[in-house]
Amino acid sequence: MRNSKKRAFGREEGSGSGTGSASGTGRVVRRAGTGSRQARVKNQEDEKKRGWEKTGADRTNAVAPPDLLDPKSAAHNSKPRLSFSAAKPLVLNSPEDEYDTTRFTVMRWKTVSVIFFLVVLYLIVGALVFRALEQPHESQQKLAILAEKLDFLSLHACVNSSELEDLVKQVISAIRAGVNPSANSSNQTSLWDLSSSFFFAGTVITTIGFGNIAPHTEGGRIFCIIYALLGIPLFGFLLAGVGDQLGTIFGKGINRVEKIVGSLPQKWKVSQTKIRVISTVIFILFGCVLFVALPAVIFKHIEGWSTLESIYFVVITLTTIGFGDFVAGEKGLEKGGSEIEYLDYYKPVVWFWILIGLAYFAAVLSMIGDWFRVISKKTKEEVGEFRIHAAEWTANVSAEFKETRRRLSVDISNKFERAASIKRRLSSELGLNPITQEMTPGRRTLSVNLGPGDEREAYPNLALSLTPVPGALARNGSGLYLNGLSPDYAEVAIIESL
Amino acid sequence: MSSWYKSWILLTGFILFYVAYLLFGAFVFSTIERPVEDKLKRDIQVLKEEFLNQSCVNATSLEHFLEGVLQANKYGISILPNSSASSNWDLASSLFFANTLVTTVGYGHTTPLSDTGKAFSIFYALLGVPFTMLVLTACVQRLMHLVTYGPISMCRQKIGLEPLAATAIHFAILLLVVVLGFFVVPAVVFSYIEDTWSFLDAIYFCFITLCTIGLGDYVPGEKPGQNFRSLYKISVMVYLFVGLMMMYLVLRAFHRMADLHGLTSFFQLPHCDEDIEEDKEPIIEAGHEDQHEAEDSAKPLDPASQTSYNTINR
Repeated sequence: MRNSKKRAFGREEGSGSGTGSASGTGRVVRRAGTGSRQARVKNQEDEKKRGWEKTGADRTNAVAPPDLLDPKSAAHNSKPRLSFSAAKPLVLNSPEDEYDTTRFTVMRWKTVSVIFFLVVLYLIVGALVFRALEQPHESQQKLAILAEKLDFLSLHACVNSSELEDLVKQVISAIRAGVNPSANSSNQTSLWDLSSSFFFAGTVITTIGFGNIAPHTEGGRIFCIIYALLGIPLFGFLLAGVGDQLGTIFGKGINRVEKIVGSLPQKWKVSQTKIRVISTVIFILFGCVLFVALPAVIFKHIEGWSTLESIYFVVITLTTIGFGDFVAGEKGLEKGGSEIEYLDYYKPVVWFWILIGLAYFAAVLSMIGDWFRVISKKTKEEVGEFRIHAAEWTANVSAEFKETRRRLSVDISNKFERAASIKRRLSSELGLNPITQEMTPGRRTLSVNLGPGDEREAYPNLALSLTPVPGALARNGSGLYLNGLSPDYAEVAIIESL
Repeated sequence: MSSWYKSWILLTGFILFYVAYLLFGAFVFSTIERPVEDKLKRDIQVLKEEFLNQSCVNATSLEHFLEGVLQANKYGISILPNSSASSNWDLASSLFFANTLVTTVGYGHTTPLSDTGKAFSIFYALLGVPFTMLVLTACVQRLMHLVTYGPISMCRQKIGLEPLAATAIHFAILLLVVVLGFFVVPAVVFSYIEDTWSFLDAIYFCFITLCTIGLGDYVPGEKPGQNFRSLYKISVMVYLFVGLMMMYLVLRAFHRMADLHGLTSFFQLPHCDEDIEEDKEPIIEAGHEDQHEAEDSAKPLDPASQTSYNTINR
């Protein structure tokens, strides 16, 4: 939940000093000053470059289909502080713009359902893999413990099975309450002393929730609910703030690098995208070392876990999953006798590490989300551009086709008119000689003799519906020949010779 | 004081306040829980002694045995007779586990035992958590249109309420609906299905789960001999997803409302989506919503490319 809140606040606003709408319009809002500084700087640069028009992404966005997830979140989320997107995403029309809403909604529901199915698929795959990996181990453990129980029972004949089970039940519930019956009760530390309670409160608020300590009283639980209700948003804001600072520092660093590279001689110039990508990668690596690798080594050393277990603990904690099978600072019962003496400042340092590590993780995760958005947006843009080109091409072709047809039809009607006029002239001259009598009625095909050769090539289409009827008559001299023309079409042939 | 400075100071103030909050919580938890813990300690010692007294077992072998039992129990394996039938890693339970991993709830009632399982969990979580967050964000963005913007604008148009009042009322109603539908009703259902849970336990469970804290002291479907175990677990999964989405939605609605009422700018906190911009000049939040909308629609959308696209479709 707080993670989601991180998304809601951190990624969208906090860690991204979102660039929201493009420059140029008066609609600017004063933000929590921190991240906006860098955004302000960037915006000024952009403005110089592009004046008051919208940025390139906006322009293409105005034409191309909208962003994958949500134009709004793309709008503010974008902060290319950590992403390599040079273009600022488009700001949106207000949500009350119905047409846009429906248009965006229609497009986005499709993508959402696709993503949803992907997630379900991902879960199923995970379930199958986990089952394949873990079930054998589990059966093994079951057998082992059953064997132990039988051993124990047989070794100590005066204990019967039900008594043992009763004891075990009680012990287990005691363990759940954090009480360790194995140890000597005198030197045992409480699970609810101040520092452990502090740690527990921390795990509740960060929503990690290890669970090795949990409230058992009704009062404790009710208080836990109320406490979490207030504390989780509080922590969310804190995380947003810290993440913002981290992001700002990082962004400033990138700006400085960009300036340096920009002032280099021409041959050393590297594209802005490359700089951003490289610096992001370095950021991730550096953060990994500082927040993951180093603590893992420290935990391995202090807690005595294996390397894998330490890394496992770090990842599970920093993503706030928090299983609780490994908890730093709570020795638990695994190693039985040997209790580790923790230094006094161990737990607070662990908690502080959790805070910063969470902010780092949130920043990284939001950056990955940014990349997804940018990639999807770019893909959509490309697809959109492709669609535009395809539409243009089809439109052009169809337009040409229409044009040609139009011209042809005009031509044909012109020729018909001329033929009609000539027929009238001829018939008046020749005195109604039956031109048509020798013609075989044949099929009403129109065969057009395109007189001189060049005309023929010019209008190849005019050889429409050719069906040369045998017995064509040819008139001599005038270069006419009629191929089984019906009287109505005779004119055309006459015309062609003109 | 420059705004950057101010934000640093605010942040420090925030951190201090947060630490104070934690200390307060620690103190209260300690006061409430410690006496109970002490009593339990005493009880278990008594129990152990009684057991030892009446039997021929000696302390060390008992403790050795108990260690083994507890180790097994940590991984969800119990030696109690009627729990041996169902596995913790059959398909439905594995799916449930993957779900708790990916939504970061992380109960911990079953955890990967093998090294390969742990390594796989790491990678699975690293990919799955952003993925899930993305899905949830996407769904919520859409739902916001449906649930929040639509009704609010309808309210404003039809009833003619002020935007501030409309948002506040709408948020209150939304909160009530979510609490009823996602806390009270599921709690009733859970307390009915799980015999050992009281109503308070069930509400506690719903809350701890939907906030993704996931302590793991209560996990549904774990009692031995549960009917329709797979179906039950899968429906809990669905409940988890939908509930998370609704929590998120409530949060967004709240954020937006806080924006409108000027709270976020007052505390210099991050703003809700629409208002994110480069700051050039301060703008009072409340009441400017309409102006902004007007400006938005009047913005020059760079007509050049649009007209060319339109003219193609003759």
